[in-house]
Amino acid sequence: MMSEERHRLHWITAVIELVKTLKEAILPLIVIVVANGLGREKTGNFWLDNISVFIFGLFIVFTAVAGLIKWKRFVYWFEDGELRIEHGLFVKKKRYIPFERIQSLDYTEGIFHRPFGLVKVKVETAGGSGKDQAEAELTAVTRAEADRVSREIADAKRMKRMPSAEAAETTGTEAEGVPPEVPEADGAPARTVFRMENRDIVFLSAISGRIGLIFSGMAVLMSQFSDILPYELIFDELAAFVKFGVLIIAAAVLAVLLVGWVISVVWTFLSFYGFQVAFDGDDLFISRGLLEKKRITVPLNRIQAVRMSENPFQKLFGYRSVKVHSAGGGEESGAVISLFPLVKRDRVNALLGELFPELDLDAELARTPGRSRPYFYRIDFVWMIPVIGLASWFLFPYGLLTLLIVPAVILLGMWQHRSGGWAISGRQLTVRWRGFALQTVYVFRRRIQSMEERQTVFQKRKDVATVNVSFKSGTGASVAPVRHIDRADAERLMDWYDPRDRTGREAALEKGRAVHE
Amino acid sequence: MRKEPANRISGKGLTVWRIHGVFYTLMVLVPAIAAIVLAYIFDGPVWIYIVSAAVPVLTGYLLIGLFPKIRWQRWRYEVRETEIELQHGLFIVKRTLVPMVRVQHVDTSQGPILRKYGLAGITVSTAATTHEIPALQMEEADDLRSRISGLARVAEDDV
Repeated sequence: MMSEERHRLHWITAVIELVKTLKEAILPLIVIVVANGLGREKTGNFWLDNISVFIFGLFIVFTAVAGLIKWKRFVYWFEDGELRIEHGLFVKKKRYIPFERIQSLDYTEGIFHRPFGLVKVKVETAGGSGKDQAEAELTAVTRAEADRVSREIADAKRMKRMPSAEAAETTGTEAEGVPPEVPEADGAPARTVFRMENRDIVFLSAISGRIGLIFSGMAVLMSQFSDILPYELIFDELAAFVKFGVLIIAAAVLAVLLVGWVISVVWTFLSFYGFQVAFDGDDLFISRGLLEKKRITVPLNRIQAVRMSENPFQKLFGYRSVKVHSAGGGEESGAVISLFPLVKRDRVNALLGELFPELDLDAELARTPGRSRPYFYRIDFVWMIPVIGLASWFLFPYGLLTLLIVPAVILLGMWQHRSGGWAISGRQLTVRWRGFALQTVYVFRRRIQSMEERQTVFQKRKDVATVNVSFKSGTGASVAPVRHIDRADAERLMDWYDPRDRTGREAALEKGRAVHE
Repeated sequence: MRKEPANRISGKGLTVWRIHGVFYTLMVLVPAIAAIVLAYIFDGPVWIYIVSAAVPVLTGYLLIGLFPKIRWQRWRYEVRETEIELQHGLFIVKRTLVPMVRVQHVDTSQGPILRKYGLAGITVSTAATTHEIPALQMEEADDLRSRISGLARVAEDDV
């Protein structure tokens, strides 16, 4: 029988908890300290003068004790086919997670884990759309222990599945969007299907959008410090600075941009270092990271849709990126997961074909009709006209430059119009559209949660319509739009989705199954 | 050409929407009256009177008169054995198709105004999306809810 021995986490848990809390609290703390400590005259009272230091110290002690308690009181064990966790000092919390609800275990190795050979294990469950879903985290256990947990769960699941496979087949109403599980080829070793070269990771870092994140981070930091920065001094310096001329200012701005960019490159490089995807027939294992190693598990049957995107930079260098939409609760292996962050265009189909053999990647796309081109930019005049009007009126004559957004928007619209397309191949729908990057979504009919055909008054005049395809992504929905296509084609799409209109073999098949039940 | 869904929502739904419209109009009316009073006291320009009179009138016409009517006329639904089809929308006509196999649960809900008129709304949830039929007779809503959940339970998937 299963071991009912209570297990503890590694003591480093206490440290990790402490650091985590401190990290979250560091900015407000700094503000408190600065507000209290600086810019105030000494009262002579020792306690009053150093109050911020005491607050700070008290906070650290409190946090440290809380971390210790959390570690001390946290136990987990296996019993009756469940992972059971108990924690808490005053309020004892128990969480029992049945093995069959556990979708995957994600491993993270942070810098505190590395010296001791530990991992953080995150237990992902097939939680539907609720916040109350069972989910658990083992902050620090040894690698061997983690593997034992995963083996124990896998074994228990297999035992359970054998007799009940039939039952799963007949109750296949897809309670969570999961199809009845197919008996798997047990114990097949995971084999690496995709590995990113360092060169590609550097390129990814160079063009990734994280630079914006860094700048907003800098801005937040600046705003936090705004109280102590001597603004008058800066303005004086700035005035002197201006005299140096525009060139130097431009150089300074460039330098700041460059530094931000370098930080972002390094950051991205560190977090994507050694990116690889392994596959064992049922699950995808995605691991990455240099300082903090992460490994997430994505069960194939949780994947709702495959999304390929190509932004203009990537196109220029012959790259694409592929993400998958997965159903589920957690942030790590739920929602949108980067499968191939960057992959050569000529390799992508072969790679995807290996993971998803049933996917039709070369379907001939039907194009958006020519008469619907204006719809891609006409709506934008609603905001462009007031913006241009106001800017030109108040900022004359430079405001007139805003007129330039008109051709830009129109060109983008025409580009979007040219890029759009859709295709039905059997039970699969392919939708391609462009925001700025080109997106292609491959989704099977059974993964589509609902479809909506919509038509504005203007669209009606030219007999075009838009179809929105909703599928599950994480705990919410993601939408693939088939924009401004021929009305008849929109209806064809709806007919394809409509279960009532399934023809011939499929209908007979469904009927047969219904009778069988 | 796909046929329109067969059923309309309750006629009282139109009344409820008009009542909502009255509330919104009142919210516009109060500042408008305030503006007129202030303009009178401080001897404001004439256009303030005109705008303050025109805006509530227009709002009232649109939100009490025109919009609820169009919305109501547009609203159609049909619950068939294998799917639910909805049609609604004011400026944009939306036709939504929800297969029974995707339905996870059905709720009925009722605000104070709906209750006064013996109405209830139905919310159909899939794993990712939710869809609402806003105003049905209460018994009808209850029937429909049990019918949908019954159909959803037996619906077969095409894998």
